[in-house]
Amino acid sequence: MHMRPDEGEGSGGPMNADEAEVRQRRPMDEEGASAEPDGATGTSTQQDGHFECNICLDTAKDAVVSRCGHLFCWPCLYQWLETRPNRQTCPVCKAGISKDNVIPLYGRGSSNQQDPREKLPPRPQGERPEPETHGPFHNFGLGDGGFQMSFGIGAFPFGFFASTFNIGNGQFGGHPPRPNVPQNPEEQFLSKVFLWVAVLFMFWLLMA
Amino acid sequence: MFSNTAMQKRLQKELMQFQQEPPKGMTIDTESVSNTLTTWIVHIEGAEGSLYHGEKFQLQFRFSNRYPFDSPEVMFVGSEIPVHPHIYSNGHICLSILTDDWSPALSVQSVCLSILSMLSSCTEKKHPPDNSFYVRTCNKSPKKTKWWYHDDSV
Repeated sequence: MHMRPDEGEGSGGPMNADEAEVRQRRPMDEEGASAEPDGATGTSTQQDGHFECNICLDTAKDAVVSRCGHLFCWPCLYQWLETRPNRQTCPVCKAGISKDNVIPLYGRGSSNQQDPREKLPPRPQGERPEPETHGPFHNFGLGDGGFQMSFGIGAFPFGFFASTFNIGNGQFGGHPPRPNVPQNPEEQFLSKVFLWVAVLFMFWLLMA
Repeated sequence: MFSNTAMQKRLQKELMQFQQEPPKGMTIDTESVSNTLTTWIVHIEGAEGSLYHGEKFQLQFRFSNRYPFDSPEVMFVGSEIPVHPHIYSNGHICLSILTDDWSPALSVQSVCLSILSMLSSCTEKKHPPDNSFYVRTCNKSPKKTKWWYHDDSV
């Protein structure tokens, strides 16, 4: 059953026989890992297993892949991240994972190229800096001498408020800090208010 | 979102896979599996070469409808409860993957294998030190216990 070179185009018969041979051989040398896209035959069902979501065990829909290489449906992964907002880890290998460091996968011919991460409400709006990494004093930016005493006193209530607000929005919990993002207007307002409270308090201390 | 049916779909897949290629020494008691798939009993044999060789145990799994995001409740049931430093005589198991370290990528099969390996690595058959106190005071469900994991060696 050898194919003559001039028969190469348009002759289905011998081509299929060759393919069948290849397919028989494949499981022996390498457990079907050499994935050649072939939707028409049984090989595809065998390989589905490699593209199953690690959470629902079904073929991944709206697939995303983590940086550690594990595949999930975005709805499944999203729900897992929501289950433990304070400890977002890859279900498979426990590597750190977050909404922002998973990569959407688009297969050929999928009509909808929308980022699957855009689909699921409630999606976090905007971004905030991580409270822990900056510490409560970050927002003041005071360095000059005379202020440093009132700074400590004034900062306390602000730090308190800042952490309260962030607890309220648990879904931002695991995100890495983004230093260039402008502060929330509410936070800026609060920081000003407490700065003035601190200044007035110092003033009162000096007067009394 | 994940609903009841998604949970059942996943359990159905796990059940099929378990029955197709059961791990050595493990069988699912198909009669115990309820229609809704929320309770399973797995028969498990002590591994060859371990202290539990020749013994047979029954592990009960119960799934909430938040499975696989919520861990299953897993405990030994029946007359035979293995005597093991991390297994209480009422069948409750002290194993971190059953609560804090649960991950939705784990499965019935992987939990069974973990428990079997926990049994196999045991060097001395004895009850946990606080066994009698715990058994007297604990909740019926081991998931209600606030476990304190202290032994990383097993």
